[in-house]
Amino acid sequence: MNHDVVHFLELTIAGFLTLCIFSFLYKDNPFYRLAEHIYAGLSAGYYVGLIWHSVIVQQLWVPITQNGEYSLLLPGLLGALMFTRLVDRLSFLSRVSIAFVIGNTAGITIIQQLHGYVLPQIGDTIRGFGAGEFNALVGSLIILIGVISTLIYFYFSKEHKGAFGVTAKVGTVFIMISFGAHFGYTVMGRVSLLIGRVQFLIIDWVEAFNSMIN
Amino acid sequence: MLSRLADVLARIDRRVIYLLISISVIIPTLITFPLPVPISPETQALYDRVAAIPDSSTILLTFDYYPSTLAETEPMSVAALRQCWRKDLKIVTLSTVGLGGPSIADRVMSTMADEFGKVYGIDYVNLGYKANYQAVLLGLGMSIRSIYPTDFYGTPLDSLPLMKDLDTYDGFEFIYIISDNGIVDNWVGLVNAQYGAEMGAGVTAVMAPKFYAYVRANQLIGLLGGMKGAAEYEHLVGVEGAATSGMGAQSLVHMTIIGLIVIGNFAYFAGRRKK
Repeated sequence: MNHDVVHFLELTIAGFLTLCIFSFLYKDNPFYRLAEHIYAGLSAGYYVGLIWHSVIVQQLWVPITQNGEYSLLLPGLLGALMFTRLVDRLSFLSRVSIAFVIGNTAGITIIQQLHGYVLPQIGDTIRGFGAGEFNALVGSLIILIGVISTLIYFYFSKEHKGAFGVTAKVGTVFIMISFGAHFGYTVMGRVSLLIGRVQFLIIDWVEAFNSMIN
Repeated sequence: MLSRLADVLARIDRRVIYLLISISVIIPTLITFPLPVPISPETQALYDRVAAIPDSSTILLTFDYYPSTLAETEPMSVAALRQCWRKDLKIVTLSTVGLGGPSIADRVMSTMADEFGKVYGIDYVNLGYKANYQAVLLGLGMSIRSIYPTDFYGTPLDSLPLMKDLDTYDGFEFIYIISDNGIVDNWVGLVNAQYGAEMGAGVTAVMAPKFYAYVRANQLIGLLGGMKGAAEYEHLVGVEGAATSGMGAQSLVHMTIIGLIVIGNFAYFAGRRKK
């Protein structure tokens, strides 16, 4: 079949499914559910195939059978132990794998959070004071007040009264400004997705139709 | 009179709002109108950093996004590739997102490669996806081959000329992350903090506010935030694409939403006064 015809058919199916999803805005209906189930089924199937090929075959089966990397049998065994959860009598064995994953993830995450987030961000909170420029100084002062008052707002071991309560209230203002910025950006993000779909329906589909008939 | 109007406004069917939003998107898509694109300092910083990379160097460009956010992220990738290939940079790409990432990379890279006359294996390589992003990001700092023995198409890395002398982050002049999820935290926390790799990011609008803190702390060189960031970058690169053409609709929808917020507040306060 002609490439342009195939491309047009692909886009037509995608366009139809897009409209099926949008039909939910009017009310729940069978077209919406059809598109939803196709999406969920395709995603699950694709993901299983992807993991099978990129992890089990490429990183376990091929290295063991072709390169003789037998040390990989150990992670392979840990992975296999996860399936013991399907058998009540043996399900305790899966805890070995879970313990490995939790320990490993905790170790990586602690370092990541400390060196990648906490220390550089604390450093940056006070760095502007050494810059000597008036604007940087004011900016740093606002950030410092924001950080401290927000932290105080989330400190619940002392009643929010007096000076402590006023500082917590200042923290609320900073939190609200942050929520406002996040909300504004979220609206922009969601509108962008709608724009993308409308561009697809109006521009891409029409272009594919024109290439097919020409 | 005022209270009756407030009653009518308070009872507007939500589907009327959907219709208004749809019209606000469809009209500017059909009738495009030029809008000024002021460049934010974060976008300018990212553009300038890439511009300062010595020609023919190698960079890592990621496609860490799902198909659902293509409207925001794909224009960033296209604009970034355009800037990089004008400088003849070599590009290695990978994805920490299984669903879509590698195939989007495949489609975008091959389309742009045709435009710039770039050859796979010499000018660019698509490593594809591997599960467990933390292990992948840490492992790439020790040996790319241990994580990716082959590329996305199953070709052994040693048979690709671009990958011959490349096995850790040290081989990359810059890391350009384009993402629609929290993976940027991991790139910064694991790769920037532990390997000292210099990086910048383009992210969806939903993610952007969180990452401005990284730019301020110099953990990220620059940041593109959503479709607006993509439009700014397109403007800097000098080729207006999907993001720039979407900004008209973006502005009109925002005006509609602001109008609806004003109407909603009017209806609320007028209704409360009546009670």
